[in-house]
Amino acid sequence: MTEQTVLPTTPRRSALRSRWTAPVAVAAVVAGAFLAPPLIASAGPADLPDVTPEQLLAAVAEAEPLPMSGTVVYTARLGLPEIPFAEVSGADPIALLGGSSTLRVWTDGTERSRVALLGSTSEYSVVRDGAEAWTYSSAEDAVVHYSLDEADQARYDALATDLRSGNVPELAGELPTPQEAARLALARAEEFSIVSLDAHTTVAGRDAYQVVVTPRTSATLVSRIVVAVDAETSTPLRVQTWSVQDTTTPALEIGFTDITLATPSDAILAFSAPAGASLKEVVVPLPDAPDGAEAHDGSLPDGLTITGSGWETVAQWVGLDVAALVAGDPAALTGLPGAERTIGSESAQELIEEFMPSDGSGHPGAMTLDTTALYDQLTVEVPEGLLLSSTLLNVLVTNDGRVLVGSVPAETLRGMA
Amino acid sequence: MSPADVLDPPAPGSRAPAPVLVPQATVAHRGAWGRLLRSEMRLVFGRRRNIALLSGLAAVPLLLGVVLFVTQDSALGGQGPGFVGRVTGNGLFLVIAALFMCLPFLLPLTIGVASGDAIAGEAQAGTLRYLLAVPVSRTRLLAVKAVAVLTFVGAAVLAIALVALVTGAVLFGLSDITLLSGTTVPLADGLLRVAGVAAYVALSLTGLVAVGLFLSTLTEVPVGAMAATVVVAIVSAVLDTLPQLAVIHPALLTHHWLDVAEFLRVQVDWGVLGQGLAVQGAWVAIFGALAWSRFTTADVTS
Amino acid sequence: MTTTQVANALATGPVVRTQSEGTGPLAVRTAGLTKRFRSGQVAVDGIDLVVPRGSVYGFLGPNGSGKTTTIRMLLGLVRPTSGKAWLLGEPMPEAAGALLPRVGVLVEGPAFQPYLSGRANLARLDASDATADPRTARRRSEEALERVGLTAAAGKPYRQYSLGMKQRLGLAAALLRPRELLVLDEPTNGLDPQGTREVRHLVRELADAGTTVLVSSHLLTEIEQVCSHIGIMGRGRLLLQGERHELTGRGVASVAVTTSPHQVGTAAQVLTSLGLRDVVVDGPGLEAPLGDVAPERVSAALVHAGVDLVGLEVRRPSLEQLFVRLTGEGFDVAR
Repeated sequence: MTEQTVLPTTPRRSALRSRWTAPVAVAAVVAGAFLAPPLIASAGPADLPDVTPEQLLAAVAEAEPLPMSGTVVYTARLGLPEIPFAEVSGADPIALLGGSSTLRVWTDGTERSRVALLGSTSEYSVVRDGAEAWTYSSAEDAVVHYSLDEADQARYDALATDLRSGNVPELAGELPTPQEAARLALARAEEFSIVSLDAHTTVAGRDAYQVVVTPRTSATLVSRIVVAVDAETSTPLRVQTWSVQDTTTPALEIGFTDITLATPSDAILAFSAPAGASLKEVVVPLPDAPDGAEAHDGSLPDGLTITGSGWETVAQWVGLDVAALVAGDPAALTGLPGAERTIGSESAQELIEEFMPSDGSGHPGAMTLDTTALYDQLTVEVPEGLLLSSTLLNVLVTNDGRVLVGSVPAETLRGMA
Repeated sequence: MSPADVLDPPAPGSRAPAPVLVPQATVAHRGAWGRLLRSEMRLVFGRRRNIALLSGLAAVPLLLGVVLFVTQDSALGGQGPGFVGRVTGNGLFLVIAALFMCLPFLLPLTIGVASGDAIAGEAQAGTLRYLLAVPVSRTRLLAVKAVAVLTFVGAAVLAIALVALVTGAVLFGLSDITLLSGTTVPLADGLLRVAGVAAYVALSLTGLVAVGLFLSTLTEVPVGAMAATVVVAIVSAVLDTLPQLAVIHPALLTHHWLDVAEFLRVQVDWGVLGQGLAVQGAWVAIFGALAWSRFTTADVTS
Repeated sequence: MTTTQVANALATGPVVRTQSEGTGPLAVRTAGLTKRFRSGQVAVDGIDLVVPRGSVYGFLGPNGSGKTTTIRMLLGLVRPTSGKAWLLGEPMPEAAGALLPRVGVLVEGPAFQPYLSGRANLARLDASDATADPRTARRRSEEALERVGLTAAAGKPYRQYSLGMKQRLGLAAALLRPRELLVLDEPTNGLDPQGTREVRHLVRELADAGTTVLVSSHLLTEIEQVCSHIGIMGRGRLLLQGERHELTGRGVASVAVTTSPHQVGTAAQVLTSLGLRDVVVDGPGLEAPLGDVAPERVSAALVHAGVDLVGLEVRRPSLEQLFVRLTGEGFDVAR
């Protein structure tokens, strides 16, 4: 009979099992497709010519700012108490206090740039065009326009192009970029630190040298700062700041995840306040001295004293109305002219810039976060007052109204109180 | 053969020997796929409950638009989460606001209903055994079901978008659109971007469709498959909010749903959108394969 | 050939295929077909079905005896744990795609989309059949509806159908195109006596046209009379299978005599003198196994002895008695 010749009895179990191998195979292929590119990317950089730390620092300092655009990921692991970021609706610089943030950076390499902090359905943009700047918060549909008064503008226009850079007006709610962070970290690195080189690495698909800046002192919270510098263009691609408290992951990390060296289109770098958005005009002074770094040394604002130097610097304010400040009272803000610029230590200054921008919202009506509650949540009570403690920076608000800030252990601040 | 036979008008095949009337059973007709698919579409879109579901989804933007229109001059005017606050200024935002409103729950529910019906529904009705005995190959049936569910979900997104566009245009007017970056682009560009939003939303749901179909092959209770599908979407969204699980976030089904905001940035990063779609593709591949393995080997005892 | 005959041929479908087409002489055959469910329950235990072409095979057994699971395995719905099955000479489920269009089925009751009309449901099934000719779909579905007497209700949604109408629609689906084999699982379920008669008539008609019919039932008497072959399932095993007359003739026949009460004794003596043993007397009736004795000899002897013959009957055991004897189980008496 024909039937008997057709297919001998096959073990069905194995047939059944072979069917289930299909999804397993598919899963393996999918996992491979998603995991392989990073593995290949981390295969190690090509051999780069040897340089000395000094040569590299010089190259970074001399490097022409390049037109570029890219995506930057900023991660803060400051060890702060859990912050109710769910309360933050939309992209706001305060999100930089914790967790991971994504920024997009466009610059033409000269005076025009745009940096955007991305929220899931929102965006906070900082657009610079020479001496002018705008911030735009999509969540609040609010524009702040920063400009110089006529006299300053005339002075600015008179400056040679090479002197203009680095002399742009300060604006609240600034967003960090790897270049800016690197500039701060490397500016006077050799004065207080040991500069060395680490193994070559790859950042955003580009080969990079790594400069390690290690404080000479052990009286600071910063253990080291590692800057990855693009081998080809000497542009800083990534900055990692390591705390003495965590040796496995950097406390602060900002770096490109992708980068394109091309001039962004004019449509991206241009800005005009959108119709319907609230607009606030802020006139800012042009910094007096063109070589700004030394400018503040002799002329500290009233109530501010600086103790120590380099990494151990502690800044101390007297007579600040902290409660009003954290409540977002603009009157209290105006009492802080150029406060961010007055910290001696590079990293401390960088950190202050990160911590202060909560004032960047500027306009009380649009505050999206209960900063008073946040303040209460972030600080702990100590005998001397209230202490805000993070892996890189300590802030002590004493009971008699003084504020001490420094990248030093909390005990140091309490001893000074 | 009788004389009457000759005189009669020739009935088809009346004079031929009988066996000729037997269709060549083993030969598949051309267009059989299309015929099955059309039949499946008629089944899905002919079902009153499904039409009611589509209508309900389409009513969301209508309702949202009317509420915003009525309250726009009150103290609450211009406020609301996501893009809701912007709708009164530009009707185009109603499309985006409505899609965002439906994305977390209503659209997953729609997927749950459609995919739950697809296999578990047929199993519960007992029609699955008759389809398979027709025979329809299980692979073909699953593929047709998947296409039908995807089409239904696409129709749901389209219905929301179109009703929102018309409602927005009538109540608030359409104008040049201000992006999240603060840049204003012309209306035509804005329409394209909003179309992109709708398309991305629809494509972002494909992974959940695959999951829903797989769950549908596991049970004979369509309501169970539907509920499980919705639960998957919700659990995924919850996991996405846990910072402790940041490592797995990029792989989560719902993680990239909000990347759709990319269409509203001054420079659309296609890499971000592509990555979101790649993740959906991965879910489709894995759960599609699981659904296929399960469905082609399962005993049909319903 | 008259026009009527042509019409009949169209409706019934000329189903006989010649042997040269490569199909075996058996419509259904299984070898050691076994299904053990994941629960461990053995629903079907190594059965060897043999259904010859052209037969009407009554697949009998009480509920839960494994009939439906067997049928599901034949149709590829359930994967056998072991054993093989062939339909029309082709292996199942490997050849399902080309084979099943030649097989009409009704499995465990009708099932259709409740919100579609009967007609739309048939259209859906036909559209699912890749080998069905879409050009003749409408005609074939109307003919099938006509055949089961459902034309008038064809436009109504299926959920409004009575149980009987649902059953008819299920039969119509099985008859959507000419079939070589019909597998009808409990086709009379839910039908009234009239409907049951119609189904019997339909089965006979199809069989006369050459279609092989495998019809299962837990109600023995409903289909017993139309079957040419019988298979009896009990507890997952095929207890008995063969031609019906052969099976029913296999049992020992007995003779039952009815006479006037005062002649019962005489009649008993006559029967005993003929060599019949175990004569049972019950009122005016007597019964005894016939053994080798021809019935004619019994009647002649009784008449010769002057016994008034009110009645004489040769009784063969019914299938039901046979079944009870085989399994100790009874058929469900009522539906």
